[in-house]
Amino acid sequence: MSQNLTMSPDLGKEDWDPDVITRMIFISPGAHVSEQEIVSEFHMLDLPLTIKNTCYGSMISGKSKDVYKAIEEIRKLDPNHIFTKERGFAPGDPRRCRGHRFGPREGFHQMEKEYRILGFVSEALENPKDVEVAKKEPIAVDEFKKIMNDCLESKE
Amino acid sequence: MVKVAIYPPNSLILADLIERKGHTPLVLQKQIRQKIKDPEIDSPPMNITEEDPIKGLKYAAIEVPSGVRGRMSIIGPLIDEAEAAIVVDGAPYGFGCIGCARTNELSIFLLRNKDIPVLELTYPTNQDETYVMVNDVNEFIDSLEEISGEE
Repeated sequence: MSQNLTMSPDLGKEDWDPDVITRMIFISPGAHVSEQEIVSEFHMLDLPLTIKNTCYGSMISGKSKDVYKAIEEIRKLDPNHIFTKERGFAPGDPRRCRGHRFGPREGFHQMEKEYRILGFVSEALENPKDVEVAKKEPIAVDEFKKIMNDCLESKE
Repeated sequence: MVKVAIYPPNSLILADLIERKGHTPLVLQKQIRQKIKDPEIDSPPMNITEEDPIKGLKYAAIEVPSGVRGRMSIIGPLIDEAEAAIVVDGAPYGFGCIGCARTNELSIFLLRNKDIPVLELTYPTNQDETYVMVNDVNEFIDSLEEISGEE
């Protein structure tokens, strides 16, 4: 696993700038836009951003003012199906990018878990309604006794 | 605008739902970004320095393992800043980014003890439960708006 002990990266001026932030843009299942449309829209905004096309959506990096402006614009395409979150490392950073190391990227497993319910979240945002979920309760003692006795009798 | 701590602190869904309503989610990635932009640390994943367990002493006693204190040095400032919190309980193994059950317990304990509004949710497993979660989060955030409006 020594390959995963990453190298000291050769960082540029932008990488050290505390005002430069990175956001991940996720498209939930059932969205009305594609990853490519999102990336094209980012380019059309003509803001000084680094844009990366990914399997889940895209990733943008740049000055915080520009990034938040771009996100505000991009959300308008499909507000209920576009989700965003912060990312600590810049796109393609050798300390996290899979192009330079083995195994899934840190944070991938969390993303995978949340993506499974992301479609339901979009649905809940799109068609809000009150839902009652029955609480799971333990079985009544009498019923438990009955099942237990049935099992014991059938065993004999 | 209210600063809302979330648990797990890297959650996409919780952070996004909070941002949609115009509040600030306190996410771990911001802390990590601060850390990796620190010119003194150039080789993550070994990005916990010997200073961190000392900073973590603010949140955990000296007998607590250094791993917990090291993690608390990153998560602790988020808990200090929090004006409200949303915690997801009963999540499956692997949900969350901390990788340490004791740090999870300590962070949730600190959030509960902080005298701030805390919403505790159960991890949804189907569509109906997700509806309940989203409705609960939205109601909670709306109630925060009333609090911040009163102030």
